[in-house]
Amino acid sequence: MSNIKEYLTNDHRRCDDVFAKMEDKANNKLSDAKELTLEFIADMERHFQREERIVFPEFETKTGMINGPTEMMRQEHSQMRNLMQQLLGAIENDDKDKFFGLSETLMILLQQHNMKEEQMLYTMAQQHLSAEAQRIVEMMDSLVVE
Amino acid sequence: MDFNGLSIDQAPPISGPLRFFITAPLFGIMAGVMLLFSDLASLMSRYSMDAIVIVHLITIGLFGFIMLGALTQMLSVLAGANIPKVKLISSLCHLFLLVGLVFMVFGLQESNSIALEFASLFLGSGFLCLILPMLYAISRVQHFTASVKGMRVSLLFALMIVLMGVYLLYGYSQNNITELHAIVANIHSVWAVFGFAGVLIIGVAFQVLPMFYVAPRFKQFCKKRVVLLISTGLFIWMFLSLYAEEYALYAKLWIVTFFWAFATTVWIKFNKRKRPISDVTVWYWRAASIFLTLGSFLWIFDEFFKHQYIVMVGILIGGGFILSIMLGMLYKIVPFLVWFHLNAEGYMTIPTMNEMINKNLSRAQFVLFIAALIGFVFAFYMPMVLFPSAVAFIVSMMLLEYNVLAPVWIYIQTKKRKPDFDMSSFSMTN
Repeated sequence: MSNIKEYLTNDHRRCDDVFAKMEDKANNKLSDAKELTLEFIADMERHFQREERIVFPEFETKTGMINGPTEMMRQEHSQMRNLMQQLLGAIENDDKDKFFGLSETLMILLQQHNMKEEQMLYTMAQQHLSAEAQRIVEMMDSLVVE
Repeated sequence: MDFNGLSIDQAPPISGPLRFFITAPLFGIMAGVMLLFSDLASLMSRYSMDAIVIVHLITIGLFGFIMLGALTQMLSVLAGANIPKVKLISSLCHLFLLVGLVFMVFGLQESNSIALEFASLFLGSGFLCLILPMLYAISRVQHFTASVKGMRVSLLFALMIVLMGVYLLYGYSQNNITELHAIVANIHSVWAVFGFAGVLIIGVAFQVLPMFYVAPRFKQFCKKRVVLLISTGLFIWMFLSLYAEEYALYAKLWIVTFFWAFATTVWIKFNKRKRPISDVTVWYWRAASIFLTLGSFLWIFDEFFKHQYIVMVGILIGGGFILSIMLGMLYKIVPFLVWFHLNAEGYMTIPTMNEMINKNLSRAQFVLFIAALIGFVFAFYMPMVLFPSAVAFIVSMMLLEYNVLAPVWIYIQTKKRKPDFDMSSFSMTN
């Protein structure tokens, strides 16, 4: 049976792995990390859009909570998008200290965000949307990133 | 389910945890200064007034404050639990504990019974006014993770050690030191170290290590059973020390086994972590693993030497393990809170977390702190080491205070100056 919580939680862990690879590469030579940074940003963007375009609207329609937790999560997504763009800037300027300053900040922001989602939002989404879970997971699988 | 924890409007204001973090190193400095003026012989006994005062400046003032400050923040993130009226409650708790601790130090040093009565009143109410609402908030959580369970068990131990502490202090105020007093003091200290602090650290580590360091996850057995097994061990140890002391060693072995296993697991997980970073926080976790291993073995060893090493066990486990983790955590949580609150308020041109605290100063603080701990251990055999170790400890606590204040200063200045490019007019909070 498809499970929204499991699906999105696994997505988090996948992004974490790419993040760690990106940092590892940057630690050796910053300019070599550009490809992995772009891969990380693309993976994160796909994950954000799975939430923002599919799960959040379904959740909001079902529960009627429009300006609640989903809105807060969107706000944190925008904070993270901003930091991710700055990562690319640090690579362009070959500024390793800046890169790791940004990556550390992003990591803490990302993980506290993930904790809130995994602990509360996904659990709640799975409960409310269990009947539609199969359809929602399929939609997330076939999402084309805009 | 309550979602308030997801909203920054409802999240604890930054002043809540920062108030505790800023005050904590000051008590460390105070403890260090008292060490300078204490006589080594009296420090060797866990029940001397000097030892009790210094220990509590560190346990309540330093790591108690850091733990409570962190819990006001972490409960909403890790557990989705919201402490009712968190701003008011954390301010009150902070004030009561501050006043209570000052009364305690004065009362014990001067044998002033009125000060001690006030101390037990303020410390008791200070702790309870935060612990009880936190337990209430956790009771409303519907989905318990291993970390949330750890936090709940730890807070229950906290509740019991506070009640015991109040009893002990009141005993001193009435000059009524019975045989029961020593028994309660023993349970109070062991439960505080292993039940409150130990279980809290283990519970939080289940979630924090895999997530923040991209380290391998803990095994299901650890997450599901270890906290329960440790708590059972602590209760069995209590009953054995009360009614069959000759067997208490077995319960100690039981407890130590899990803590030593935890220390080893943390070390291995850091070896296997995927993130390459190695900052002062990682050094603190590593140091904590080593000190916990040494302290655990010495606690067992001490049983065969009429408890003459118990103070050394306290230094290794209290300072080396618990305090190391607390200090390492401060280096992450303070800059993050400052960054997060400023960023959420729309300030875009702010330093990253790593730019808020000078790396060399945080390294110097770590080295001095570890040197001081090692010095304190050696002072048992070489009394002249005590003085330089106490000085190293004081300087490390001064550096810690500076390192905590540096990000806070950035927060204040950014809010005051309002940089050219910011979006604070679109802010989500005030």
